[in-house]
Amino acid sequence: MKAFDVIVVGGGHAGTEAALASARAGASTLLLTQNIETIGQMSCNPAIGGIGKSHLVKEIDALGGAMGIAADRAGIHWRILNSRKGPAVQATRAQADRALYKAAIRKIVETQVGLSIFQQSVVDLRFKGQKVDSVITDSGLRIKTKGLVLTVGTFLGGVIHVGLNKQTGGRMGDGPSNLLAQKLRDIEFGVDRLKTGTPPRIDGKTVNFGLLEEQPGESQRPTMSFLGKPEDHPRQVLCHIAHTNEKTHDIIRKGLDRSPLFTGQIEGVGPRYCPSIEDKIERFSDKNQHQIFIEPEGLGTQELYPNGISTSLPYDVQLDLVRSIKGFEDAHITRPGYAIEYDFFEPRNLYPSLQTKKIVGLFFAGQINGTTGYEEAAAQGLIAGLNAARLSQEKEPWVPKRSEAYVGVMIDDLVTMGTKEPYRMFTSRAEYRLILRQDNADRRLTPKGRELGIIDEKRWTKFCEKRDRIDEISKKIKKIFISAEDKKVNAMLNKPLGREYSVFEVMKRPEIKGMALLEAAGLKMISSSVAEQIEIDCKYQGYISRQEKEVEKNKSHFDQPIPSDFCFDSIPGLSNEAKQKLALIKPKNLGQAGRIPGMTPAAVSLLMVYLKKGDSIQNVQAD
Amino acid sequence: MAYIKDTIAAIATPPGKGGVGIVRISGPVAVRIGKEISKRETEPRVATLVSFYDDRGRTIDQGLLICFQGPHSFTGEDLIELQGHGGPVVMDLLLKRAIQLGARQAGPGEFSQRAFLNDKIDLVQAEAIADLINSSSEQAALGSMRSLQGDFSNQINSTLKKLVQLRVLVEAAADFPEDGIEAEINKDEKEKLKYLLNQLDQLLEGAKEGHAFSQGVSLVLTGKPNAGKSSLMNALCKRDVSIVTEIPGTTRDVVREDAIIEGVTFRILDTAGTRQAKNKIEAEGVKRALKEVERADIVLNLVDVSENIELEMMEELEKNKRAKEIVVYNKVDLLHKKSIPSSFQCVSVKTGGGLQKLKKRLIKELGVLSGGDSIFSARRRHITAIEQARIHILEAIGFIGIENQIDLLAEELRLAQLALDSITGTFTSDDLLGEIFNNFCIGK
Repeated sequence: MKAFDVIVVGGGHAGTEAALASARAGASTLLLTQNIETIGQMSCNPAIGGIGKSHLVKEIDALGGAMGIAADRAGIHWRILNSRKGPAVQATRAQADRALYKAAIRKIVETQVGLSIFQQSVVDLRFKGQKVDSVITDSGLRIKTKGLVLTVGTFLGGVIHVGLNKQTGGRMGDGPSNLLAQKLRDIEFGVDRLKTGTPPRIDGKTVNFGLLEEQPGESQRPTMSFLGKPEDHPRQVLCHIAHTNEKTHDIIRKGLDRSPLFTGQIEGVGPRYCPSIEDKIERFSDKNQHQIFIEPEGLGTQELYPNGISTSLPYDVQLDLVRSIKGFEDAHITRPGYAIEYDFFEPRNLYPSLQTKKIVGLFFAGQINGTTGYEEAAAQGLIAGLNAARLSQEKEPWVPKRSEAYVGVMIDDLVTMGTKEPYRMFTSRAEYRLILRQDNADRRLTPKGRELGIIDEKRWTKFCEKRDRIDEISKKIKKIFISAEDKKVNAMLNKPLGREYSVFEVMKRPEIKGMALLEAAGLKMISSSVAEQIEIDCKYQGYISRQEKEVEKNKSHFDQPIPSDFCFDSIPGLSNEAKQKLALIKPKNLGQAGRIPGMTPAAVSLLMVYLKKGDSIQNVQAD
Repeated sequence: MAYIKDTIAAIATPPGKGGVGIVRISGPVAVRIGKEISKRETEPRVATLVSFYDDRGRTIDQGLLICFQGPHSFTGEDLIELQGHGGPVVMDLLLKRAIQLGARQAGPGEFSQRAFLNDKIDLVQAEAIADLINSSSEQAALGSMRSLQGDFSNQINSTLKKLVQLRVLVEAAADFPEDGIEAEINKDEKEKLKYLLNQLDQLLEGAKEGHAFSQGVSLVLTGKPNAGKSSLMNALCKRDVSIVTEIPGTTRDVVREDAIIEGVTFRILDTAGTRQAKNKIEAEGVKRALKEVERADIVLNLVDVSENIELEMMEELEKNKRAKEIVVYNKVDLLHKKSIPSSFQCVSVKTGGGLQKLKKRLIKELGVLSGGDSIFSARRRHITAIEQARIHILEAIGFIGIENQIDLLAEELRLAQLALDSITGTFTSDDLLGEIFNNFCIGK
């Protein structure tokens, strides 16, 4: 088989974005998957987005990725979360029809120029020295490549638990990738185990929805993609909310002796923010009920996903616990819930480009790096795929900074601090939360994406239109004044104006809605997305410029690069602990060095002095 | 190469009542600060007699202002020196004013570091700079630890704890809106913030008034009755202020006197010896003594070595002492053959032996030798941090109950904590998430 610039192993959320980004960047790309039918499969809950997560989706979208577009084509129930708490923490979530989502991703992957799909299991990797050379598949094919992106999800050494029964597998119904796992274990990337779980699925026709609380979607539906329109959405459905009760909790407590989680059978660490129902009941024993979100699996199926009761208890306990819930008295379980343990590799062994430090050309993305969530995986996939392509083209890698994107926050967290539990994005992880909003992902990243060559003409044209319109209106509103007697505007305000103010000034008042004020000021024909940006720019101006100043101030300091061959041992004043950590993480710049847990400001100062010393010696030699 | 874009300031001369003290300011806004603090333009490289003014236009001091334009300065950046009358109060007011005008308090060894980074110091000196950074950050850490003793530390920690509780609530409401967390941040939280503000105010008052800035370093003498505390006090003050007898428990209340050692004012407090009190008056004295120990900058714990004390016990004492405590072994003249390790502080108040060494040790403990990184600068740093936290809490109060701005409320609380973190150590977003997961049952 012919050689490729980049090979991506795995067709999940990380793999598809990786393959697409690589192809968009102009590299000849091959996507290898065990099963083409599972490309774009949502293995866990049927939803895209959520707090911190829609931020990631919109960033992926702003860089030309597929996730947002697919979500728009598959979203059957839309919610705006935190709609009244401020734009920085506002988020979008869509319940997605699994089949529609998969089909949308498949279509985007299949139509991408420069991207080939091939159904093969990878059983071995070949290196030349410390460099990627080729992959060997189960049919004995050897395919050469310059960049290799592994996005193997939970398939490495995957073990599935239902009660005390366990079996190997990467997802219920699919086998694990054990040969590959062994190969990677041999390279000593620092392997560890994590755990995640799913709830039992329920047959919708056996549920009494009349007893459940209805949760309708938004009437004014948002979209996930910059290019999306509400008209892209399929038919909308309702979600429901149910609750566990004391009886449920008793059933669970009685079954704990057969819970692999509590008998010590499961060694992997699970996420604290997504505990199994047995965990919740043990840890918060004072709560007499827990919420369950009843999510439809899709338009073409009756199956339901009861989000909130992920469990690895035995089937008989699962059935009893489900049937103890109001409305589920006669429920039938279509697929039992299970816990899955899998290998992940110490992400501190990666550069921010997601290339491994040990093997040139080998990139990791997704759950293999200790993260959880479709959005987290997809975002890493995009960065890994892009950088694999850039490596094959002998270009410098690109990774957004913490001040530029949530993707940057996530990657920096992973490669600098590692993780002990499956890593999920939260807005509180971002110190520049006020400038990293979901509403401005396009403004933050699309120009950069264009520069990197991964933004097509259609998106770029539409982006430029919006950008120019924002610039134009921003200038205008400083020159248009509202008189003190303006009835329309005063009616919007808690306190009347009192004197003449510019539209810009009035916009800063918290009670003002952007679009309404612009219309009152005679500025017509403005799209809601432009009005939104104008409003937020005005209201947040002080904060945004404060954070921007902070970014600017730190730039010269923290962006100071550290050569990859820099010898930290040569710094006499550093503690051994600091030296070890620096040698392991090989920080790219002073800022990253400073964020390594346990690094003191004095240690960073020392590092700065010795970086300078290294520079000067080189200069002397160059002279 | 310009590495850093901010302006740093520090007191460049040792603290204490010296004749002249210097505040040094380096960075892009240094010259502007000089102009604003003296309310006049001065010629570069010319020492000009000026008045230094505070934020309300009152004169802080009169002195010399010298302005060096980069790269022709010690650090290679724009740099000014304010030379005033030495003494902690004036120096601190000048430093405080410089910080108000946009400077940041310099970190350990930072002036030299900048000089090096801007090619003003030879490459060969890199090791020396490294040593300086190391030793002065140790000093700074010590100074900080001392400043954080007792009430001050307890108060800071309790304030921080309350702030974290609020942040947990606000951040959980923002990151987990579907987990049944009370989303409304309302009156209760406003009251809590006001209470926090009040606590910060108290901290500021305590830090400003009760401490060394105006009155010097507080030095408390403790130890068992008749260990020789009163004699030592008299020796340090060079006159009889405490009544000395051979009867244990003679000093029943706290006796105070100032002593100037190497130009630094020490407020020495002689306390009643800590023993099971024999009567009510003595009991009250012991109680007060303990309180003074809490507040002190330095504690001298006097041990009478003429009473049968084993080496093991001494080692135990050294091991268990507080950060600000020096164990002083008195009456060594009465010892015959017993040897005490030379690292232990020994005196004979009676003969005067070891007193000079003790005085030197006191000065060293203050970090006076390293110039700007003493207990004084630690405390200035702490006060600046509390003042900043206060501003953010005040802003946060304004956001309570305003729809659509929980993100701004969260930001102000984050910044408030960031300020206080500089005193107590870093609290990461992961720590915050940990608190949230401990307090709320999160997760679908």
